[in-house]
Amino acid sequence: MRRAHLLGLGFMAPALLIVCLFFLAPVIMTAVFSFTNMSSGTGISGGAYEVTEKTVRRLPEHGFPEAKAEMLAQDVYRIDPAGLTALGAGYGKALADEVGKSLSGKTFNGRRDLERALKKMKARPRSIREIKVAADLFKRSVLNTRYETEDAFVAAITDLDLKLDTSERALLSKVAYTGWTWTTENYELIATLPSTLRAAANTLTYVGFTLAFNVGFGLFLALATFYLPGAQAATFRAIWILPRILPPVIYIMMWKWLTWDTGFISSFLSNFDVTPRNWMLHSDINAWVSIVLINGFVGASLGMILFSSALRAIPSSMLYASEVDGASRLQQIWYIILPQLRWPILFTTAYQTLSLLTSFDYIYLSTDGGPGSSTEVWALYTFHTALNNYGGALQYGLGAALALVLVVIGIAASLVYLRLFNFDKLVAKPRIEQ
Amino acid sequence: MRIALENFTKTFGDTAVIENMNLEIASGEMLALLGPSGCGKSTTLFAVCGIHRMDGGRLLFGDKDVTSVPSQNRNVGVVFQNYALYPHMNIYENIAFPLKIRKDNKKTIDEKVQEIAELVHIPELLDRKPIQLSGGQQQRVALARALVREPDVLLLDEPLANLDAKLRLEMRSEIRRIQQKTGITAILVTHDQVEAMSMCDRIAIMDKGQIVQLSTPKDMYENPASEFVAGFMGNPPISFLDGTVDENDLRLANSSQSLPLSSNISLPNDGETLRLGIRPEHFQPNYPAKLSGKISFIETQGREVLYDVTLENGDVLRSIQSSGMPHAIGELVTWGIDPDKTLAFAANGSRL
Repeated sequence: MRRAHLLGLGFMAPALLIVCLFFLAPVIMTAVFSFTNMSSGTGISGGAYEVTEKTVRRLPEHGFPEAKAEMLAQDVYRIDPAGLTALGAGYGKALADEVGKSLSGKTFNGRRDLERALKKMKARPRSIREIKVAADLFKRSVLNTRYETEDAFVAAITDLDLKLDTSERALLSKVAYTGWTWTTENYELIATLPSTLRAAANTLTYVGFTLAFNVGFGLFLALATFYLPGAQAATFRAIWILPRILPPVIYIMMWKWLTWDTGFISSFLSNFDVTPRNWMLHSDINAWVSIVLINGFVGASLGMILFSSALRAIPSSMLYASEVDGASRLQQIWYIILPQLRWPILFTTAYQTLSLLTSFDYIYLSTDGGPGSSTEVWALYTFHTALNNYGGALQYGLGAALALVLVVIGIAASLVYLRLFNFDKLVAKPRIEQ
Repeated sequence: MRIALENFTKTFGDTAVIENMNLEIASGEMLALLGPSGCGKSTTLFAVCGIHRMDGGRLLFGDKDVTSVPSQNRNVGVVFQNYALYPHMNIYENIAFPLKIRKDNKKTIDEKVQEIAELVHIPELLDRKPIQLSGGQQQRVALARALVREPDVLLLDEPLANLDAKLRLEMRSEIRRIQQKTGITAILVTHDQVEAMSMCDRIAIMDKGQIVQLSTPKDMYENPASEFVAGFMGNPPISFLDGTVDENDLRLANSSQSLPLSSNISLPNDGETLRLGIRPEHFQPNYPAKLSGKISFIETQGREVLYDVTLENGDVLRSIQSSGMPHAIGELVTWGIDPDKTLAFAANGSRL
């Protein structure tokens, strides 16, 4: 390899590293996670085996015999040799012998019964507390007990003497496992959950309207400032770039001040006997209008700048020519200017589609998907599912699957756009001849 | 259609580019606005087509005052220096554009486009895009687009400036042919005096926002009103000799040589300075009033040869002669001037 090539690679290295670290690796990890059922319940490391009330409830759903499930739930104490040996070691041989003689082989449901029986023993411990501890030595239930390995769990189950066959035991192990497992369940959920459908519809609304506003308003601003005298045009452009340089949090805060039920709009309208309300969250329509405007005012400036520079690239003689050819302002815009802005318009549309598809920052800061989930777009839905929600039950696996869908759509759209733009052509030659 | 500018004034900011200009162009006439860059000729053209608003005065098309009529409604055809074809439309659509805007019906548009394409000799190019055309072809398209809706006035803004030399010659006669065939009133803006002389009926030569002289090409060449006009017209250019009047002679500055002055010059007083303009064709070996000098530069032009002759005081005279008499650089020559063909100018540049 030539030195120049190595040098080139050297210059590229930081970029490659960043791409790997912040794009490729997360995407791969997301893909991996999306095939698990990880959640804040399972944790992301391994799990243990534990039968809880919930396990007992769920077992029959998986085809486990109901009677046996109920037996699992019982708090059973049995006087058996193992328990007696332990009792002898802890409280003396006398007590162990006494208990073994009078109660051997007996079963108690619940600790209270056993305690009562133990209290009748002559060699019983003095304190009630110690009796309780002694009674626990005979506990033969798996309920709410964690077993770190499957072997220990199976041993404990076997000990219960539920007369389980192999398949029932395997099923029980599976349901009692608290860690994460591999599954394709997430994708089935995505296909069937009504909330995903809702998020998809919201995303379409969001991208569609915001894009239309961004491009349309950007174009309007560019055209309007194009026909204004220089100084005025520069002032207007500067004003329209302001939202972009404002810190997003502050920008949203201002919107909230504007729209709160004690905010500017409400206070102002109260002069006209309009009931104060939260103009951002009062209804779905309010929320959507707010979101489109919040995003649009920021996004329009990008289009405005791109379109303005493209407009200036049109030779003025061409505009003069159209004027003496008889074209009015509108005809000039329609027949001469817009056709020549085709590429910047397409580019802005493509670029903004991609960025809007995954962006939820302004929505998160302003409505957080509300009211209800009426403005919860796919990206925000993913964020809520996997990383941040009110209940605190975070579903990493499902979230990863949701994110992966977005990644796939994004990459597909990028490829389509690259194809559409015919990238070689774009970087080749200016389209406007001088 | 007759065009008249009355007391036309145009200012940009605080600078008055043109003040109180008067110009009348007869119907069917082709007039050149000739002048160096910055003299206001393009500004005048843009005012006539309505792209620039006039800051004072009136503009008449025929008897109609169009001063405040927007350019869309003036019915003028303009050919721009860079042709200003619409790159996203093909040639047919470019030519049809003014008619489409006027909402003519499809059939009329088609007929007119075909007709004008024939006139400018481009019927086979109608499907192409402007970018696929050569400069000369684009020029023809621009001309066709300007003429297709039969405008009252045709305005040409440096139409030949972007063409190479051979095409320029060809298009010069083409534009004149089309103008004469259509009988349209036309204004040609150019800084090239050859273009102006060869294409136009009359020339208005402009300097610093004023029309310095308005005349036919021949008259302007032979009878320039000022030193500026004399210097501007003619290729190769006229050369000037400075001197003082001594009876009926001109005593050359810093020199022992003198020249007889023509009797048809109204002579100033003795001792006053005077500038004599001598065109290269009037400084020839066999002319009477002899001057001696050294050939300092030779430019072969094929049929003719241009000599620069440096006089003893450092002034340079040009002489154009048919090639055949070989002279060499450094050769001392004594050639003559025809006193009656010289042009005399006062110190302020005005013709005497």
